[in-house]
This record gives sequence, C-alpha cells and structure tokens, in this order.
Amino acid sequence: MARQKLLEVKNLKQYFPAGRGEVVKAVDGVTFDIYKGETFGLVGESGCGKSTTGRTIIRLYEATEGEVLFNGVNVHGKKSKKELKELNRKMQMIFQDPYASLNPRMTVADIIAEGIDIHGLAKTKEERMRRVYELLETVGLNREHASRYPHEFSGGQRQRIGIARALAVEPEFIIADEPISALDVSIQAQVVNLLKRLQREKGLTYLFIAHDLSMVKYISDRIGVMYFGKMVELAESEELYRNPIHPYTKALLSAIPLPDPETERTRRRIVYDPSQHGYKDGEELEFREITPGHFVLCSEEEYKRYRAMYA
Amino acid sequence: MEKILQVNNLHVSFDIHAGEVQAVRGVTFDLYKGETLAIVGESGSGKSVTSKALMRLLPTPPSRIKQGEILFEGKDLTKLSEKDMQSIRGAKISMIFQDPMTSLNPTMTIGKQIMEVILKHQKLSKDEARKRAIELLQLVGIKNAELRIKQYPHQFSGGMRQRVVIAIALACNPKILIADEPTTALDVTIQAQILELMKDIQKKLGMSIIFITHDLGVVANMADRVAVMYAGKIVEIGTVDEIFYNPKHPYTWGLLASMPSLDHKDTELYSIPGSPPDLLNPPKGDAFAPRNPYALKIDYELEPPMFQVSDTHYAATWLLHEMAPNVEPPAIVRERMKRFAEIVARKGGTPRG
Repeated sequence: MARQKLLEVKNLKQYFPAGRGEVVKAVDGVTFDIYKGETFGLVGESGCGKSTTGRTIIRLYEATEGEVLFNGVNVHGKKSKKELKELNRKMQMIFQDPYASLNPRMTVADIIAEGIDIHGLAKTKEERMRRVYELLETVGLNREHASRYPHEFSGGQRQRIGIARALAVEPEFIIADEPISALDVSIQAQVVNLLKRLQREKGLTYLFIAHDLSMVKYISDRIGVMYFGKMVELAESEELYRNPIHPYTKALLSAIPLPDPETERTRRRIVYDPSQHGYKDGEELEFREITPGHFVLCSEEEYKRYRAMYA
Repeated sequence: MEKILQVNNLHVSFDIHAGEVQAVRGVTFDLYKGETLAIVGESGSGKSVTSKALMRLLPTPPSRIKQGEILFEGKDLTKLSEKDMQSIRGAKISMIFQDPMTSLNPTMTIGKQIMEVILKHQKLSKDEARKRAIELLQLVGIKNAELRIKQYPHQFSGGMRQRVVIAIALACNPKILIADEPTTALDVTIQAQILELMKDIQKKLGMSIIFITHDLGVVANMADRVAVMYAGKIVEIGTVDEIFYNPKHPYTWGLLASMPSLDHKDTELYSIPGSPPDLLNPPKGDAFAPRNPYALKIDYELEPPMFQVSDTHYAATWLLHEMAPNVEPPAIVRERMKRFAEIVARKGGTPRG
C-alpha cells in the first residue's frame, strides 16, 4: 500500500531576531514528510528547535522560509479567513504544561466547546453539550466534570481536558508538544495509552515532540532527531534505536538511563563533539538516504563511508 | 556497615485551612556510610517533604514534625534549635535542588556564593576560602576556575550551574548529600554528565547520598538501595537489584511496568489506574488499594505492616502474608524476576547494588 503524505515540510526555516542585527536560527532548513495515520516523533535537547518546528508548522509563527504542505495545501501562503479556519480545524495542538494551557476562568465545558463554537459544529445548545459529554467520556473523564474549573483537576486529568479540546473539532492531525513530560510516571502511561487508542479509533496522525526518548520510541513509527536547528537523522523508530548512524544520535541514545541496573553498571557513554566531523570550509552537508528510509545529515565523504558501513 | 543516619517513624503534617495534610505518615529508614539511597515516588508521595524535614527546611507553621526522630551523630535533629541546626545544615548535611537557576543568587558572583558557605562554617581567611572555591570548581569539572569564580550565574549554562550548586554543597565536605531531583531540569546528555560527576565525587569523598527522583532510569544508574514511597509512606525498600528484579509491592510493579521496555512495542503500556489519594483525608487501610488490581479485602480495612523478604528487602503489602493468595505480577515484571534468579546464581548469594 502506498503511503499517503499528509504533511510535507520543505526546507523550513524559522529565524528570530536577537537584537543588534543578529538572528537566532531556531529552525534552519528542516525537511520531512508525515504520512497519514502515523506518529512522527521529533526528539532533541532543549533549544534544538523541535518545539519551534511544531509551532511553525501550525502557523503559530510565520515561517522565515520554506513550505509546509498539508494535504497538498500550503499552510503558510496567503489565505482567506475561511481557508485559514479550515486549516485550524484540521490541525490541532496539545501543549506541554497542562496548568498553563487551560484558561483558569473557563469551565471545562467552555474550554472544550470553544472550538465547536468557533467552527459552528453544533447547531443547538443540547448538541453542543452532548458533544462535550462524549468527548469527556472519550478521554476517560465523566460528564460531571463539565461544569468544573481547571484548578479542580490533577495534571493528568488536565492533560485529558487538553486532549478533549483538541479532539472537539475533529482534526486529522495533532501536534503534541511534550504532552507527558509534566506528568508522573504512572500517569504518563495512561495518557500515552489514550493517545494511541484515539489514533486507532479516529485514524489520527501525530507529530509527537519530546525529549523522553524511551516514550518517543514506544509511540512513534518514525523519528527525526534534531540538533541546533537541523535535522541530523531520520528513520523508522526500531531502526533508529538499533542502528543509529549520526554521532549525535549515538551520543543521545547512550545518555538515556534505562530502568535496568544490570545494563546501567556497564553503560558506556558516547560524547558528541561537533568538531569531530572535521568538515572543511564550504563542504556541502546534505540530508542523504543511507539505507531505505534512513536519512542522515552528512557530507559527500561521510555518505560514502556510511554507505560502506551500513548499506 | 556503619549507619550514618537513622530515621524512625517520621510524621510530617501541614496545617492548612481545610485541615491537616498528612504528607509523611511514618517513614523509617537507615542511611549507611558511602551509599546512595534513592527515594522514588510520584509528586505528592512525600519524598521531597521527607528530605526537607531531614534538613529542617520546612517552615513552621504550616508544617510540623508530628512524631518520630532523625538520628545523626547521636543527636535527634527534630529536637535541635535553629542555631544548632545551622551548624549542621550546609556543613555536615547539604542539599541540592532541582532548579539550579533558582537555587543560586543572580546578583552574587559564583565565587562569593561558594565562599559564603566556607566562611560561615570553617575558620579560613578570605584568601584561603577563595583558593578552596577554585579547587571546588575544578573538582566539579569547571574549566578556567580562576576566571569563572568572578562570573554571575547567568553566564553559566544549566548544566554548569548545577555543577556550581554541587560545588557549594560540597564546600564543607558533608557527610550526607541530599539531592532532590538534581537532573530533572537538564537534558539527557547533561544529566549523564552530572550523574557521572556525582558518582565520581562520592568515590573520592566517601559521602552518603540521598537521591530523590521519579526517574527509574536514573535510579538504576545511581542507587545502591531504593525506597519506594506512596502516599507518605515507604511501601518497599531494598537493594537496587531487589527492587528492579524482584519487586514485591504492586505499586512497584505498576511503576516498572508502566515504563516502555525496549522490546514491547505493540502491547499496550501497563498503567496504574486512577490517581494518588488526598492526604487531607488519607483512606482507611492501604492507601494504594483503590488503584491496586491485586488488592485483597483486608487492604481496605487494615494497613499492611512491613514484611521482610530478605535481610535488606522489605515491602508493605498483604500479598506477602502467609495466608495471601498467589498472584501473578504483570508480564514485564515476571520477566524481570526471571533475570533476578540469573543474577543471584551468577553472583552466588544475595545480589547487592
């Protein structure tokens, strides 16, 4: 079965002015596709540009350069209000901090129904509330919760409200920006299971941004690794963990502590030094396919070496 | 092994408008010389309150140590005056916190902040203190220490700041270092560096570490022994091998099983249902019972005592009672238990961390 591209990100750049004429290249030429129904994981350390990438895709920021195509339509081009609204309905976001992302002065019902109201998805008040109740039940809360306020809920429950809000407008694509990092271990598993179940039931596509690599591996079909605004490696998640090629990916993987004292006692940590590549001035770095579906940012010379080693 | 700290039946409560929050409800453990004891548990389990109580850092009111004793060098820390406590805090027992930015003073140079501790607790001149500060920065792996002591916290990265915080904590060669989620705010590669640094320094200086975290990966990496806390109590304590490969408490099972393992991709993650209890009104019986799929009838009536599994391993669950039915832990835990047998066989005796 040919996989259908839902989202195409092409040479996306997001520069922020840093004063005195300087710019911060938060995202510096990132290219990848997300297929319909898959979960694409984006990992990297703080400041690598993974969150900025997510936010630029959904047009919370205007891209400096590059294209984002959603179902073949450019998200960043000139748009009428109506077109923009339709895109906003199809792409939704779940945020990291379940405390900061819910308006404390709105009831849960109003928070969840805000999108329904904006997009006119419910004709009557009864229908609106029926949708809210359904959504609450979908995410494992119950209808009594509708009239309450966010402060009455725990972190895990709030994240469920955030998920219900995203689902309210029946999106096709959800960007989850570190949706579980603020939650306790026992609650993380609940939320991840919920996201997976919703994906199965509703055929959703996810961009899952995280720094917790073990969870990313569990939930993602494919993973992109970012470093300093660039994507350095992209592969299916099993492949990435089994055969990391880029030295930064190797360093990142070797740094994750596993809940396994036996392996921890023999852990060998790999340290990444960007100068280890020994790139010459003007040497062209490109995102090249080493083995089918496994891409690495490398020079021509490295490409030959990687091919010899892995292909 | 020599016991350096004994905590006996510690109870800490907070008096708030709505009543009494029983944050710590009878915690007992010993800390041995030179070991790392990890305390794990989710937010609200009382792990941070326990550690702050050891340092007497909780303000009264609203907090109060209701009951129990903390024995250190023949003294009960719960009964010391603030003045006596000050001679221990930072000198013999030090603490490092989660967020290195908020635990450093942004208006003081790094050097001054390190020297402050030294001058307070040791009879050294300013010059000697400065020398010591430079040595400490070198010890925690900060290069150009002579230059760096003149800089301010904002001129350091997150990982470097945490190194400075560790340098301050080590300034007086403490016997005990309490680390409350010291790497939670850091990236994995930086976290790995800080953990290595802490182990390294522990080897050099021989201090004991109480390491508080919710990250089981970090625990497996750092700890000799592990205490698992739930709802203000230690529900299981043992060597790191015993806790990770032979856990007995269903809560520990749940924690271990809810971490994605590397080979179980298609199976649904095991998750502990529900959420932790409200400690304003702690439930009758075992506080974990409502979330425990293995709960017995008695769990709702009577709190389980600590049952002994081995010389070093204890767990508070009725499942260990001789009359309890045999239950099967989650698959991931059963696999871990298989490995325990291998480890025991290989090491010939009880495995230790």
